[in-house]
Amino acid sequence: MYRYDEFDHQLVGERVTQFRGQVERRVSGELSEDAFKPLRLMNGVYLQLHAYMLRVAIPYGTLSSKQLRMQAHIARKYDRGYGHFTTRQNIQFNWPALDKIPDLLEELATVEMHAIQTSGNCIRNVTADQYAGAIDNEVEDPRIISEIIRQWSTFHPEFTYLPRKFKIAVTGHDNDRAAIKLHDIGIVIKQNELGDIGYEIHVGGGQGRTPFIAKKMADFVPKAQLLAYLEAVMRVYNRLGRRDNSYKARIKIMVHETGEEEMRRLIEAEFAKIDASQMLSVPQAEADRISAYFANPAFAALPATSAAMETAQKQDADFARWVRANIVPHKQDGYAIVNISLKPIGGVPGDATDVQMEAVADLAERYSFDEIRVTHEQNLVLPHVRLDDLKTVYDELQAHELATANLGLISDTIACPGLDYCNLANARSIPLAQEISERFADLDRQYDIGELKIKISGCINACGHHHVGHIGILGVDKKGTEFYQISLGGSADENASIGTITGRAFTEETIVDAIETVVTTYKDMRQDGERFIDTYRRVGLDPFKERLYA
Amino acid sequence: MAQHSSKGARFQAVTANRLSDGEVVYLTADNQWAETFPAADIADGAAAGEALLARALPADFELHVLEPYLFEVLQDGAHFKPASVREIIRAAGPTVRLDLGKQADAKQES
Amino acid sequence: MHKDYQLVKDGALCQDEWHYSDDETALSDAPTIISLTRLKAEAEVLRARNAKLGVRLLADGNGKTKLGEDVAELAPYLDMLSLVSIDFPTYRNGRGFSAARILREQFNFDGELRASGDVLHDQWAMMRRCGITAFELAPTVSLEVFTKAMDELSEAYQPASDDQRGALWKRHA
Ligand code: SF4
Repeated sequence: MYRYDEFDHQLVGERVTQFRGQVERRVSGELSEDAFKPLRLMNGVYLQLHAYMLRVAIPYGTLSSKQLRMQAHIARKYDRGYGHFTTRQNIQFNWPALDKIPDLLEELATVEMHAIQTSGNCIRNVTADQYAGAIDNEVEDPRIISEIIRQWSTFHPEFTYLPRKFKIAVTGHDNDRAAIKLHDIGIVIKQNELGDIGYEIHVGGGQGRTPFIAKKMADFVPKAQLLAYLEAVMRVYNRLGRRDNSYKARIKIMVHETGEEEMRRLIEAEFAKIDASQMLSVPQAEADRISAYFANPAFAALPATSAAMETAQKQDADFARWVRANIVPHKQDGYAIVNISLKPIGGVPGDATDVQMEAVADLAERYSFDEIRVTHEQNLVLPHVRLDDLKTVYDELQAHELATANLGLISDTIACPGLDYCNLANARSIPLAQEISERFADLDRQYDIGELKIKISGCINACGHHHVGHIGILGVDKKGTEFYQISLGGSADENASIGTITGRAFTEETIVDAIETVVTTYKDMRQDGERFIDTYRRVGLDPFKERLYA
Repeated sequence: MAQHSSKGARFQAVTANRLSDGEVVYLTADNQWAETFPAADIADGAAAGEALLARALPADFELHVLEPYLFEVLQDGAHFKPASVREIIRAAGPTVRLDLGKQADAKQES
Repeated sequence: MHKDYQLVKDGALCQDEWHYSDDETALSDAPTIISLTRLKAEAEVLRARNAKLGVRLLADGNGKTKLGEDVAELAPYLDMLSLVSIDFPTYRNGRGFSAARILREQFNFDGELRASGDVLHDQWAMMRRCGITAFELAPTVSLEVFTKAMDELSEAYQPASDDQRGALWKRHA
């Protein structure tokens, strides 16, 4: 994992001091709320329904045990004993007091973390594939370039007051788990015939009010030129992106209105100018220094199978089910990638208590080379666990209600905080996720249904990624009452697609039945081996619509 | 923020969040900010609503609360209650964590 | 025109030798900042004028156009200009940061770049990093506050228009 050096420590420390001063000036009345609001937002502090909310960045979704323990500590000392993992691989605290936040940030800085640029119209926390460095057939660990991007984009003097927020995601794998086509910039690490590493760049994806799949802008930007290329995209956007209407200010709208060709021409022209200066090619020694932090941990040479694990699978059916659902093969023989579901039946998607966070931190320390990952689907990952240790890890997770065997299944729902917490919400999201998971609580039924991604947002901002859910649910408001709109056929992977709205919205009382109708329709129509999304793509919306509005 | 609107409402009250900790507060009849909804002053009619909001906006409140606004309340027998789901949740706490927010404090007191 | 700002240039409070002119008033020989519209319309005449000329670049279309003025429009006139006043209509509008860097790094403009408009405390240092040397500050801002804000962050991660190289480069210098 990346470790701060003196530069990082100094900058983050100075930022905390700066923010402490700003909070003091606000509380004393020297700063008005108008003047203070942009400052607090730049430091990740929002005002929500019941209290302030602090969003802490988890760069490219990687945490050490010490860092996760700090989140537990913060949850206990400054909050109400829990944190919420978001679809941007961040963690949010729902109840901190404003005047305590500088102290909180100071403690956070001791474990090399911060809340910088987790809000505001700047380049946000870079996200990446949660299986980075653990999955087989990866071109390169995406965290290396993500860390370089993190540094380049932090306190960027030119790009901190963009037309709108800006999100970058990176994957080094053909199977896209980072939803890169739904980001302002999506980066796929590629290797050309000569064996050189470079980057395929997608620009202009996004969700919200007007969802777009990103357009491929460049096939192969050589490694040394990536920052120059990114700076070119950012400059074209900052200079020519719309600011007259905040709904039209994201780069996706600019790409759409300008046209893909013209956008490419603008970017390439700017790129040529920036690249000519060579100012942004990272010195080899520095690139090497950063990649060394992401080198393989000291894996043991182990056989590809584990007798201990196989015996346990035979003896314990629950364990066997968990292995089947939540374990992903590792690139190294004898190891596995362990997914920890934060979606217990009836629970709040993405929430973890202080005790749970500490338990996961302990497990990571003992069994996963001190590493934890956060996924955009609001789960956690222990990336490098020995097959021999799986049963022990499982038992420990089980004891903390962290062993729900539902990864990728209907109860593994993404849900934004919605109207239970969020100031912008139209409707609640969490209770819906809870009711759906309770309706489909039976795991065998879930396995029978197979891979099905339900994603719920409490308003059109789409933090719950409803546009790209196989089944998407959007909360809408009619005169202070909650309604829910269904869309079908969305997908966030390498075959990304935007879902289509089925029709009129459902009430709080009828929405879960409607979801069940969609599932039944799929089951009635599916052919051998088809997942929900396959069936949907084959038969289209109509059969679902007929049954829903019969 | 559709749930923010109180257009066409007869009864209204003023709410805000406290500067220091973000706690939901309500403007009372004696121009204090109270933590519980039943203490809120209720305005009857649009003009009274405007007048109520005007009391919430003086500069010194800037020091104590954020973004005061009017919201609709409904008469419920002898009492009033917030009209929208949003304001019901603000007055009580998250519906998915009954142990948190004002609803939890109320339980402890009783 | 009445000055509702104090000018800080190269870190010190100073008397502003410049003034802004509207589009109609005949120009004197004093250093004058005009609009881009006027610059374009009267370029021929202005080229013959033997006095310092500055232009104000408006980042906001004020509802008339979607975008406002683009820095590229200045390119034909750079040899006539001793100053560009970059407008930051609200702190949210950061177009001027790119305008400044393009002027410095691509147009090699070495005259005065000043920031005018609504500027936040922690934007001053970023502006300096983008090549802005003069600041029109609200009269209520003290020089101490300004100077302190300039030093709040001592290091930079990335190169820009100033001489800081950025951590990614400096670590192996
Ligand atoms: S989607 Fe809307 S309701 Fe949900 S967290 Fe985002 S802004 Fe809030």
